[in-house]
Order: sequence, then C-alpha cells, then structure tokens
Amino acid sequence: MVFATVRTPSALALGVGAFALLAGAASAAPLVKECSKDGKFVIGFSQANNAEPYRQHVNDELTAAAAKVPQFTLQIADGAGNVNTQTSQMDNFITQKVDLILISPFEASPLTPVVARAVKAGIPVIELDRKTVGDPGKDYTAFIGGDNFKIAQEAGKYVANKLLPDGGEVAVLEGLPSSTPAVERLNGFKDGVKANDKIQVVAEQAADWLPDKAQTAFAAMLQAHPNIKAVYASNDMMAAGARLAAKGAGKKDGDIQILGTDGLPGPAGGIRAVAEGEWAATFTYPTGGPQAIDMAKAILLDCAESVPTTVTVPTTAITPDNAKSMMGK
Amino acid sequence: MDDAAPLRDIASAPPAAWRRIDLFAIAVRFQSVIGLVLVAIGGVIFSPRRHGIILFLAPDNVANIVRAVSETGIIAVGMTFVIITAGIDLSVGALLSLSSVLTATIMTTAGWGLMPTVLFVVACGALFGAIQGGISTRFRLEPFIVTLAGLQVARGLALVISNNQYINISYGEGPGLAPPVFAILGDRLFNNVVPVATLVFVVVAAIATFVLNFTRFGRYVFAVGGNERAARLSGVPVTLVKVSVYAITGLVSAIAGIVHAGQFNFGSANDGTGYELTAIAAVVIGGTSLFGGAGSMVGTVAGAVMLGALANILQLNNINAALQLLATGAIIVLAAVLQSLVRRREGLGR
Repeated sequence: MVFATVRTPSALALGVGAFALLAGAASAAPLVKECSKDGKFVIGFSQANNAEPYRQHVNDELTAAAAKVPQFTLQIADGAGNVNTQTSQMDNFITQKVDLILISPFEASPLTPVVARAVKAGIPVIELDRKTVGDPGKDYTAFIGGDNFKIAQEAGKYVANKLLPDGGEVAVLEGLPSSTPAVERLNGFKDGVKANDKIQVVAEQAADWLPDKAQTAFAAMLQAHPNIKAVYASNDMMAAGARLAAKGAGKKDGDIQILGTDGLPGPAGGIRAVAEGEWAATFTYPTGGPQAIDMAKAILLDCAESVPTTVTVPTTAITPDNAKSMMGK
Repeated sequence: MDDAAPLRDIASAPPAAWRRIDLFAIAVRFQSVIGLVLVAIGGVIFSPRRHGIILFLAPDNVANIVRAVSETGIIAVGMTFVIITAGIDLSVGALLSLSSVLTATIMTTAGWGLMPTVLFVVACGALFGAIQGGISTRFRLEPFIVTLAGLQVARGLALVISNNQYINISYGEGPGLAPPVFAILGDRLFNNVVPVATLVFVVVAAIATFVLNFTRFGRYVFAVGGNERAARLSGVPVTLVKVSVYAITGLVSAIAGIVHAGQFNFGSANDGTGYELTAIAAVVIGGTSLFGGAGSMVGTVAGAVMLGALANILQLNNINAALQLLATGAIIVLAAVLQSLVRRREGLGR
C-alpha cells in the first residue's frame, strides 16, 4: 500500500534533515544572531487572504503548531487578497523587528521586493505554499509547500490502480483556468491515470473551484458520457458539486467514484465526505504549518546554520480506510 | 404582453413610419426569445447524439439547464425592475452569499424552524436593498456607487458571520440540525424531472411579470425610468418606487441565497461572486434598456435560460470555458446594439 508511507508525518523527516545539515556544516554562522533555547521570539505570518477556507485552515494549523512552542508568539496579518496590503504588513513586520517571517505571497512578483527587504534586514523568511521570484536559500530562506502536480498525480494513480483497474471513462473538473494550481492539478491527474491505458479521460471542464459551476458542468458531462465511472475534482468544493450532479442523474453514492483535493477538515470538508461514503477519496493539500514551525525551531532555538531550502510536503490520501481516524485530527 | 414604455409611446411619429419600425422593434423586444430559439436550434444541430436521441433535448439535460440558471434567473428578475428605473444593483451576488450564510447559521445554531428562518432571511434581504435604495435617493448618489459599497458590506458580513468557513447544513431532528424538508430545494419533483430550484424561479418570475405589467406599481416603475421628472410632476411617488425596486432586488437575492443553501447544503461567504454580472447580462440580452423606461420580464427569463443553454451545449461538446466567455460577450454586445438601433429609429437619439 503506497499511501501508508505517505501518511507518516513529514515534520519528523524535516527536523532530522535540519539537524543532519547542521552537523555537516559546523563552520558556518547561525542563520540568526540571537538564538537560544530559552529566548522569546515573535514570528510574523503574512497570509495572502483569510477569506479562503483553505487559508483559514492554514492559519489554524499554524496557530496550533506554534502554541506548542512556549518560546514563540505568532502574529498573523491578513493580506486580504491585495498585494499592497500584504506589502505594508510585511514592512510592519520589518519595522517591528520580528524574529522570523512566514509568508504566503498573494502574487509572486509584487511581493518579491519586500521579501528582499526583510532578508536584507537579517530576518529569515520562510515562504509557505506560494513562492516569490528568486531562489530559496538566497533570495529567501526556504520554501515549504505541497506539489500540486504530484498530489493530482497520486489521485490519478489511485484511480488507475485501485478504483478502476479494469479501466473506464473518467472526467476532470478543473479549477480557475488561469491559476497555476488548476493547471498543475489537471496535468498531474492526466499524467497519473496514464498508469492504466484502459482509462480514458473523456471530458474536462473548468468549474473555477466553485461547487455550483461544478454541478452544472458535471451534469452536462454525465449527459454526454453516461458511462463515466470516476470524476476527479481539483478541489473539495467542486467534488461536492459533482456529487449533487450525480444524484440529479439518479446515481447513488458509490456509483461514480468521486475524488476531491484539499482534504479539508470540518463538517463541510472532504474528510467527512469520504468517511460517510459520499466520495471515494480526497487528497490533502498539506498546509506546511507544522513543518514551518519546526523549521522556525531549528533556526531560532537550535541556532541552525542552514536549513533545507525547499521542503515538499507530501499529500495524504484520505480513503475509506483512514477517513474516520483522520476526522478527529 | 405589453411591456412598452408608456411615456415614450406618446412621442409622435408619422403613422406611415410606424409600421416599418414596429416590425423591427417587436423583433428586438423579443430578441432574447428569438435568441433562445436560435440557441436551441444550434443546440439540436450540434448536440451529441446517443441511440438516435438528441442529448440536448433529453429531459434530464433540459432539467440541468433550467436548474443551473435558477439562482441567477431569480436575481435577474429583480434586477429587471431596477434597470427599468435606469438603476443598477451590484450587491446581489454578495447578498446571495450573505443570505446563504445566514440561512445555514440560523438553521444549524438557532433552531428556529423552516418558516421563521426563511421569512427572517428574506426580510433581511429586502431591508438591505431598501437601505441601499434609501441612501441612493436621499443623498442623490449613483446606485452604482451605493450598491458597490453594499457588495463589500454584504461580503464582509458574510465572512464575519461564517468565520471564513463553509457552514455545513446537516438534516434531522434536534439541536444543530436543519429540518429535513429544507433539502427539497436540491431535489426534483414530478418523476424526478422538474428541479425544485427551477420551480422557485418560475414562481418568482410569474409574480414579477404580473407586478410589472398589470399593477399600478409596474406602471410607476416604467414611468420613473422613462422620465423621472415627468413622473414626479404627474404624481408618481418616485422616491418610494426607487426604494422599492432595490428592496425587490434585495428580496430576490435573499430567495436565491436560500435556494443556494438548500441546493448545496451549506452557506458560504465565497459563493455568488460575479452573479450580478450574469444577472445584468440576462436582463440586457432580454431587451431591457440600461437607460431605463423600457424592458420585458419575459425577455429577462428567456435571456437567463439562453445563457444557460449556451453554456450547456458547449459543455456537452467538452468545449473549454474561454469560448463560453467569448460567446456570452458577443451576445451581450449584439443585444445592446439592437436596442440602440431601435432607439435611433424611434428618434429618441440615445
């Protein structure tokens, strides 16, 4: 079972990696001047846009991880989906002389200069989920995030190997066509299902991440291709919409294998939908929150001289096997 | 159906010219109905077929089309009143979202039961709209600005109330559970053919058609849009009419929000984005003039269904979203150009 290994918390792996590097590069200076086990540190997190449920989930995970470290105080600033707002909040962090900055930039190039200013001021900057322009380790300290292509590829392989070993017709609901994650998830899934050449992707439509558009689009797909056996939705909300379309076409839960992405917790999230048998699976888009706090510990408490510059947090496949146990987390 | 602008009909034109103009004007008045027929014919021609059945016309597919347009259609019906008064309401999509959040929150936390919840949410929507109309008329502000602000306020309230989360609606008896009957909004009736959301759309549209065409209020709405000064001088309560039309858009947005919550089993502060533009597009395609004074409710309904049918035929053929946007844009321009030609031929110059 390939997904069993994926489920292991990668936070440990990152911690170990950081220490290994630490041991190997004993001659270099620590990343920050003032670091100690018993200091008090302020970490500023500049969030792209609190108004998206996924981003709220990131804030929650980050807050929970930071609360476990008594030396850390976490400040979250909401960029409200506006690069100007986010830039001024970053400048505020620099003026405040926070000890470390985490940022999910709303857009790459507009936020690149302010990240450079922070690094120049001697503040380590860890980028979460989205990158600014430049190289990690040089223009900013590190990048931690999921890999959209790989996540969707896992979903594709799951369809190819587990759900439809005998092949069949498959549909894809894409996110907002102009956004990078939408393109990466579409391509990743189509690459993943290539593992089984009896699988045919018969329809793909953009539904802009929205449940209502997904319902309309998938209803039309089912009309044109009544033999569709599985549908991959590039986020959980579109999967919810696809299920409504399937219901409307007289299908029962399980008749069509529905796959989501994001694996959000809570009553409206994908984990519950899998646990209750509404969908076949969903694939988490990891927040990187715990990993980011671990890296902050390495830098601020353990005086690390270097950290891994790119940390790809693997996805967790939420399937009927583990959905119930994941509900509580 | 007589949707003519009463005040404009007074404009005297040589009787000989009337005939020619009339044919063209009538065609344009029902442009969206004609457009819908054309799209339907195109749909039949380009529809994928299976076992000789034209999928576009399959009952299931028609149900999908009319269900998909029900929420924006309900909003477009209200928007028609506002646009006939030469106004605009940009807050409707955000208000739909706020209403869905309110509905979900009240049902799952307050335990009010179905009817009190629905009445409360609808009243909130109407009040929100009336306040926008009141501010716009009292301070002589462009409705564009006031409702743009209203959009932000409604979206902000929805985010605060929902705490940026999807508010899930679970059904059952007891605290925290919504009355199971509410889920009917996502179902289909009559042998699983007619979507309930569409029935709501039909009822709202029927009431609105009656009010616009057969009541004194409807005549006032046309009069205010045709010539506000003349309407005021002839004793039309202009301010009250204007506040009322925004209360109507608020009310229908709330209804659409309740339908949204019932269809998707949650309330979300992120949904309904861009619905205002789809609704305005349906109204304009339906032959209602953005300059006010002329418009047709039947046209709006046909315009809304036409947009849905167009999206459907492209989706059936797995054609990507970019072309849908291009086609919609082209149709809006065409509709507006036709309107402008009629006005020029009638010698109204605008």
